[in-house]
Amino acid sequence: MRRRLVGLLGSLVLLAVAGACSRSKEGAQQAGATDAGGTQAAAQPTRVKLALNWVPEPEFGGFYAARDMGEFKRHGLEVEILGGGAGVPVVQMVASGQVEFGIVGADELLTARARGVDLIPLFAVYQKSPLAIMAHASRGAKGIQDVLSSGTIALEPGLPYAVYLKKKYGFDKVKVVPYDGGVAQFVTNKDFAQQCFITSEPIAARKQGAEPSVFLVADEGFNPYVAVVATRRELWKEQPERVKSFVAAVREGWRAYLENPAPANGVMAKLNTTLDAETFAAAAQAQKPLIETEETRAKGLGTMSRERWETLGRQLVELGLMEKAPPVDEFLLPEFTQAAGKTSP
Amino acid sequence: MKTASVHAALAPLGALIIVLALWETVTRAFSISPIVLPPPSAIALEASRAVESLLSAALSTGRSALVGFGLSAAVGVLAAVVLSSSRVLERALYPYALFLQMVPIIAIAPLLVVWFGHGARAVAVASFIVSVFPVIANTLTGLRSVDPSLRDMFRLYGARRVATLWKLELPASLPHLFTGLRVASGLSVVGAIVGEWVAGVVEGDAGLGILVLASNRQGNTARVFAAVLAASALGLMLFGAVSLTGERMLRRWHPSASGS
Repeated sequence: MRRRLVGLLGSLVLLAVAGACSRSKEGAQQAGATDAGGTQAAAQPTRVKLALNWVPEPEFGGFYAARDMGEFKRHGLEVEILGGGAGVPVVQMVASGQVEFGIVGADELLTARARGVDLIPLFAVYQKSPLAIMAHASRGAKGIQDVLSSGTIALEPGLPYAVYLKKKYGFDKVKVVPYDGGVAQFVTNKDFAQQCFITSEPIAARKQGAEPSVFLVADEGFNPYVAVVATRRELWKEQPERVKSFVAAVREGWRAYLENPAPANGVMAKLNTTLDAETFAAAAQAQKPLIETEETRAKGLGTMSRERWETLGRQLVELGLMEKAPPVDEFLLPEFTQAAGKTSP
Repeated sequence: MKTASVHAALAPLGALIIVLALWETVTRAFSISPIVLPPPSAIALEASRAVESLLSAALSTGRSALVGFGLSAAVGVLAAVVLSSSRVLERALYPYALFLQMVPIIAIAPLLVVWFGHGARAVAVASFIVSVFPVIANTLTGLRSVDPSLRDMFRLYGARRVATLWKLELPASLPHLFTGLRVASGLSVVGAIVGEWVAGVVEGDAGLGILVLASNRQGNTARVFAAVLAASALGLMLFGAVSLTGERMLRRWHPSASGS
């Protein structure tokens, strides 16, 4: 007992010290930043980390393109991209300062804000949510409601869009099991449906001989931004130029990736050997219309609108995932909405 | 006697209060984000707010863990008896019992889904796989460490194999057996939770493992802590029940406990 107590005390002290250290480091970085502020292409690029919330896939193509085609470097940044996986706590990593930037869902960002975590969104990759439900075409489902009327569906516990679908259609006729990230069960079981990223699982399932029908949750009325680059308020306050350069480089990376995904796909294929070149190419093609829309053509890739964030906030309150929607003006900065197209040189 | 037990309870209680106070102070003083490390007050508040879902999840996980633990106790003791009956058998089979201990449950959980489908059955099996080995190993040690002179006496009186097992070996192995069961009690809850992550159900009869995942997904770290505490409480309850039973049985059966 006593030893355990000492251990606990020890770790608490460590936590406190770590907190203090990361503060002082930030101060030092800030000092360095003001030195190099004027010239972006400083001799010594600034190292920052970007945490992904899933394994390298075309979903993140623009980030790898920005790194490997030199966009980050041109903006005086050296970016380390940390690949993720199921359960990687990106919100916590950004909030605690372990990484400067992270990829989160718009809903995660709002729920974190509602809990007092001051994250701000900078760039939204998917203008239309690629999140979907897939079922075997042989079942003849015409929409998500039909899919939920029988069989089994795999959903990640706690997923806001699952809560949304439950509220809209109810889950009493379908067995809900945890989503495991793969398609093996789907391929072998004709009555099995699952959540999916339109750019990922349906393509993998087709490769294994299945014939899925895919229904976007966005078409059901739940359409949060997906793959949102976020940072914490302190970083934005201390180094606005650096954050803006990062976003500009990301936008250029995505532009390059949309035009020619092959080079970045090659890089990601080495990191993620579960997908072959063909799948990478197909996924990059499939996601294009969700990333490049009328709005981004007018305002630049990654743009975000007030209305969309407001709608999401309202929906999350209705779903009981937060008590009060955070005011949009507190976190949606004009630099990353209206002026989005203009910040990039 | 009474004051002694009060004193015994005071020390851990005092430690708890100090730790909680320190925890609360540190999270506030350094304004540590509540989604990284929530203060105890936030966890308590969240636990009271979510008491209904915590209870039903604990009930679901508790049921699976209890079935898994029961299976471990029955199968574990039986396996130990079989293994102890002959050196050849032990040498042939023990490595495979050991295999159960080494198998990474999270990696084979998908197979449990294939074999048993999603739900309480697969979760109970995961709980069993994680918790059975300590029962086998400890019981086997107990069966093997019977006083040789007592064994000689049983042989001298011409006791049959079953009688020797029932009247000598099993009672003599009880202290070891209960050590195994105590270890298994905590592990069975761990196994059930990991099993739920892959083989549980998300709606209806969702357990604590699912509640942890869902709360984490929604950035509700306080609820993650509350669910983890509930899981620990389950483990402690099972542990307590096993210890109590063990104490009673040893008092009746074991020479060391009866004072002779």
